Amino acid sequence: MAIAAIPHDAHGEVDQLYVETRELRLQGFLLFLISDCVLFSSFIFAYLYLRNTGQGWPPPGIARLDVAFAAWNSVVLFGSGATMHYALENWKHGNFMKYMWMLIATIILGAMFLGGQGYEYHHLIFDEKVTWAGSGIFGASFFTLTGMHGFHVFMGVCYLTVLLLQTAAGTYTYQKYFGITAGTLYWHFVDVIWVVLFSIFYLL
Amino acid sequence: MSVAAAHSGGIADHIHPEPQGFVRRYVFSIDHKIIGIQYLITGFVFMMLAGLLAETIRTQLLNASGGFVSPDTYNEVYSVHGSAMVWLVIIPIATGGFGNLVFPLMIGARDVAFPWLNMLSFWIFPVSGLMLFSSFLMGAPAAGWTEYPPVSLQGAPGTTMWCAAIFLVGVSSTLTGINFLVTILKMRAPGMTFTRMPLFVWGQFATAPLLMIATTALAAALAALFMERVFGVPFYDPTKGGSPVLWQHMFWFYSHPAVYIMILPLFGIISEVLPTFSRKPIFGYKLIAFSSMAIALLGFMVWAHHMFTSGLAPFLQVLFMVMTFTIAVPTGVKIFSWIATLWGGKIHYSTAMLFALGFLALFTFGGITGVFLAAVPTDLDLHGTYFVVGHFHYVLVGGSLMGVFAGMYYWFAKMSGRLLNETLGKVHFWLFFVGFNMTFLPMHWLGFMGMPRWVATYDPQFQFWNRFESVGSYIMTLGILCFFINVIYSIRAGKKAGPNPWNARTLEWQIPSPPNYYNFKHIPTVYGLPYDFSQPLPYTGLEDELTDSPPAQLTGAHH
Repeated sequence: MAIAAIPHDAHGEVDQLYVETRELRLQGFLLFLISDCVLFSSFIFAYLYLRNTGQGWPPPGIARLDVAFAAWNSVVLFGSGATMHYALENWKHGNFMKYMWMLIATIILGAMFLGGQGYEYHHLIFDEKVTWAGSGIFGASFFTLTGMHGFHVFMGVCYLTVLLLQTAAGTYTYQKYFGITAGTLYWHFVDVIWVVLFSIFYLL
Repeated sequence: MSVAAAHSGGIADHIHPEPQGFVRRYVFSIDHKIIGIQYLITGFVFMMLAGLLAETIRTQLLNASGGFVSPDTYNEVYSVHGSAMVWLVIIPIATGGFGNLVFPLMIGARDVAFPWLNMLSFWIFPVSGLMLFSSFLMGAPAAGWTEYPPVSLQGAPGTTMWCAAIFLVGVSSTLTGINFLVTILKMRAPGMTFTRMPLFVWGQFATAPLLMIATTALAAALAALFMERVFGVPFYDPTKGGSPVLWQHMFWFYSHPAVYIMILPLFGIISEVLPTFSRKPIFGYKLIAFSSMAIALLGFMVWAHHMFTSGLAPFLQVLFMVMTFTIAVPTGVKIFSWIATLWGGKIHYSTAMLFALGFLALFTFGGITGVFLAAVPTDLDLHGTYFVVGHFHYVLVGGSLMGVFAGMYYWFAKMSGRLLNETLGKVHFWLFFVGFNMTFLPMHWLGFMGMPRWVATYDPQFQFWNRFESVGSYIMTLGILCFFINVIYSIRAGKKAGPNPWNARTLEWQIPSPPNYYNFKHIPTVYGLPYDFSQPLPYTGLEDELTDSPPAQLTGAHH
């Protein structure tokens, strides 16, 4: 059942209907990412607004976040962005096995990032006693925003796993692979959001 | 033919299989025209419910001491009235309703870009509407349609339901915005350049990004309110370090653009109705088109003019005041262009035209009172008074709802194949117009006299004008009843419309009424603007549309 090379469409070309439909889907997906970006921006605005009204940051009684750990975790996530990029490139160049390995690497790195975030949450909640609802605007903004981002990463990992199974079953061809393009775009989007979140929570 | 050949085999030539059976045809339909009608019907049903709430408010205010409902119920009634009218009536009718029904036809497309997504958008909408009204069963939200914290944090359980309902209807709006934007960008007929699009399409094109961007910001605000109410996560509660003003920023960052979501599509309707019934090209086509875009853009930079009394820094107050004044410029450009369109035209006073003219008068009035409220000094005085209620009802009822009725009398023929009765329509218009002004005009001086809004009782000195207003509101309701009777009567027994009863020139009038499920047998090619009434139609490829022959794709003659 599993395939070992990228399948080709009959006659090696795609019909006009597919080309135009892909255009529509690509544009629709980009617009969806823009509106998702607005969702994050609104919460980021809320965070910065609340942070500005408070008495210094972090608020009294709450320790600074562990920058070094989060930085290593960020490297893991950005690394997964690189592997996802090469996965798509390898597909475009017809290297099926390299694509598969790069996709698997992306999934593993994404899962590692989530594990790291889980460890950080565990440390904050049980060692530092910082919680979502019980630590004022710090807990509210930190856990809401990083949690939203973590949820996006989780959805991404799920999606990429489906992508892996679909490719193994021969769903995508050398000519028709919009699912892979969309997954790559989404994964880069999640990366970029993390750049912003890391900057405003750990560096600012 | 070369243009058509370039599209051979693409979306323009692709016809969905004909829907079979009642459910696929009329319930879970993916046809944009059916979905548009579903939006209209659902929107008007919610309008009746929210209208009943409005009459409850006016009946309560017949007497200075109230007495019709308890003060607590009164709070719930006006909160749900406002929420429903904004999110369940005007926005869905203007975008999902008229947008779906008309603009894909106007750009010469067979459907929207994502028909299944369109069906999903629609079905979210009645569900969220039922959720909102069901909040009465558990204690409805009672802090006004704006649900400012900390009052909304202490509100009855229905407030949480309100959050969820508005969040859901927002998801529906966002999906519609994405769908419409892609459709307009990618699916226009050959030759339909941006500067040849009908102005109704421009209205939807300016609205779609607002739906997509602003609604998502509201989703964030609602999600935070939901989390705070359900899980106690402090965003807005000042006792836990949160800020109630944060809600106001996030809410108005959506809700001011939402004002333009509620008016730009109606500007589009007016821009179609006025030239058709004046038999004159629209004056300043590009000015009207681009001023819509300017309004959409500026609309994002003025939200804090709702917050002058919330303790905004003075330099920000001045900034937002000036930005708000700036919006009056593109709006004024439109109004002058519409008046110039009428100038010297051969005006045909159909019901649609009466509503369009009524729109012009009442919207302009509402726009001018808006400038009063944009000015910081007068706003500080008028903010909590009935002047504000008068102002936004002139814009949303005198403007948006008049536009909705103009669109109904104009396009009912296209959607049903029959004309709405003109006599009953004129009775509707005059009852509505007179009743509307009786209801909302006195609110302006009541506001100047200091009558506060959002209270169940009032000082006896305001008694006369409140009674006058309530009588006006009953007259207005009679007008709306005429409309519903007209719709039910005309669907069964209305005059047959034929393809083009108004002798209009946009593409939707060049095909049968109601159109076939595939819209066009052959996608036309467009050579110019649809407003030059003295010229031949600027389209080719429409020769077969009014004949009985099926499209080539279905007979197998194609390929």
